[in-house]
Amino acid sequence: MNIDKILDRSYYWIDENAKRTSLAFARKLSRRHFLSRLGMMLAGAAAFPLLPVARSFAQSSVQEVGDPQSCEYWRYCAMSGTLCSCCGGTYTSCPPGSEPSPITWVGTCRNPVDGRDYLMSYNDCCGKAVCARCSCHNTEGDKPVYFNSNSNTVLWCFGTENTSYHCTVSLVLGTTDESN
Amino acid sequence: MGSFTSTSTRFNTTNSFLLGLAICFATPLSVAQITPEEIIVETLSEIGENWFISKTRNGGYIFDASTGEMQGLLSLSRNTPAVTKWGPRREFYAAESYVARGVHGERTDLVSVYDYENLSPVAEIIIPNHMARLSVRNHLGLMNNGRLLALLNMNPGHSVSIVDVQDRLFIYEISTPGCAVIMPVADMDFLQVCGDGTLQLIQLDISGFEQNRVRSDIFFDVIDDAVFDRTARSAEGWLLITHAGRIFSVGTDDDEIQISEPWSIVPEGEENWRPGGLEFFSAHQETGLLYIAMHEGEVDTHHEPGTEIWVVDSKTKRRLQRIKVEVPIDSLMVTQEAKPKLIVGDHEGGTHIYNALTFAFERTIVTPSASMFEDF
Repeated sequence: MNIDKILDRSYYWIDENAKRTSLAFARKLSRRHFLSRLGMMLAGAAAFPLLPVARSFAQSSVQEVGDPQSCEYWRYCAMSGTLCSCCGGTYTSCPPGSEPSPITWVGTCRNPVDGRDYLMSYNDCCGKAVCARCSCHNTEGDKPVYFNSNSNTVLWCFGTENTSYHCTVSLVLGTTDESN
Repeated sequence: MGSFTSTSTRFNTTNSFLLGLAICFATPLSVAQITPEEIIVETLSEIGENWFISKTRNGGYIFDASTGEMQGLLSLSRNTPAVTKWGPRREFYAAESYVARGVHGERTDLVSVYDYENLSPVAEIIIPNHMARLSVRNHLGLMNNGRLLALLNMNPGHSVSIVDVQDRLFIYEISTPGCAVIMPVADMDFLQVCGDGTLQLIQLDISGFEQNRVRSDIFFDVIDDAVFDRTARSAEGWLLITHAGRIFSVGTDDDEIQISEPWSIVPEGEENWRPGGLEFFSAHQETGLLYIAMHEGEVDTHHEPGTEIWVVDSKTKRRLQRIKVEVPIDSLMVTQEAKPKLIVGDHEGGTHIYNALTFAFERTIVTPSASMFEDF
């Protein structure tokens, strides 16, 4: 009960402070000042892809080959679960009514089209019954549960309203050669 | 044609009347000789040798491995990681997780207490909704004092919930970042395997609160050759096995963590053989015999089902037997009796019983697919 109370108070404190700070800025800053700052932010955002950490975003899209409904598809090298591409979604989208988990496990898969290694994020889609179509269990780079960021056996429905597992998508986060 | 039909009908009517009369006189006599049956409900008899629990998504099926007969069912949640027991209180303990509307709605995690006689829930203890919902035997561990139960959480960071199953109380949640697996040692302590290649010892006080925490030196590399999160209890402590088949014997002396030098179950020239599956590793504590599901494969094939069971003597570090199986196996467990049985679950859902000392196949049991077995 103490933990709940502490959490409630913490959330209340954050809300209150955010509200107070926003109102203080609104009172202090003119609209022109705000627009000038916004312009600077946009200019900064344009330069963002030049930074090494964000170079992966410079590539417009990943070249694909193969059948996304097959466990052999290159993106699924460290996948464990059922494929959302067989369940009304795609390899990057959750099926209707399910909720993507923001917390994931990761793997590194080689794309046969360009021979590059890509950093993959495997996000579970949650809040519905398990789809149970196109089951897929690959273990390249998989680690035990105590090393959970690389453990594909964990149910990763964390930070979602409902924690039931439905299916899994695989998103490219970047290439490993870019991160070196 | 019409006349014949009429005669036949009259004949049948007469016969039917006589037959009915006979039944009227005969029936009361036959009923009088039979006592009406009454439905009863069985209770579990005294626990026999080589009984075991086959844990499935449907619950825990209790079998006698010597006869293959089912004794009863523990109804468990689909997300139950494991079930354990404490003989002196004649109780089972299972961590369970339920969602109010099946797949959505409010989630409730709890530790359920079931009695031996009826296999019915007799108590429940609500715990934080952080339970790691994976079917792993060592995600649940009853301390050797039989009172404190430790349960692994993932939220997604690791922690452990401590429950007093005797007083039916949730004690508290211990933060254990980067460490999983629960291996009870001493009276109220447990060891964990950690991602930085160490072991962690948590020592509890009599109330179940953390009293001391110790970390070992680094003894393995999770990238090069990870220790599995499936371990086996030995006579002296616990046995760990790596993806390449190296064995570490670990234990404690008060607050000191003891880790043996590793040795390999894989002979020279057979390095393409690897351990793997689900609960693929078990030890008979009295004889020191190890039973491991093995397959031929490359690195990162550690979830491949085994095509052979290797029996290795941990005292001499020599392989005694290779048991070839028709259908690759995911899980196995050896019972701890003097005449033990080896219980094997295959990849297609079959459950098979072997004599664990002669390695002779004895029988197949028809039951839903098991994710693990628990000794009774």
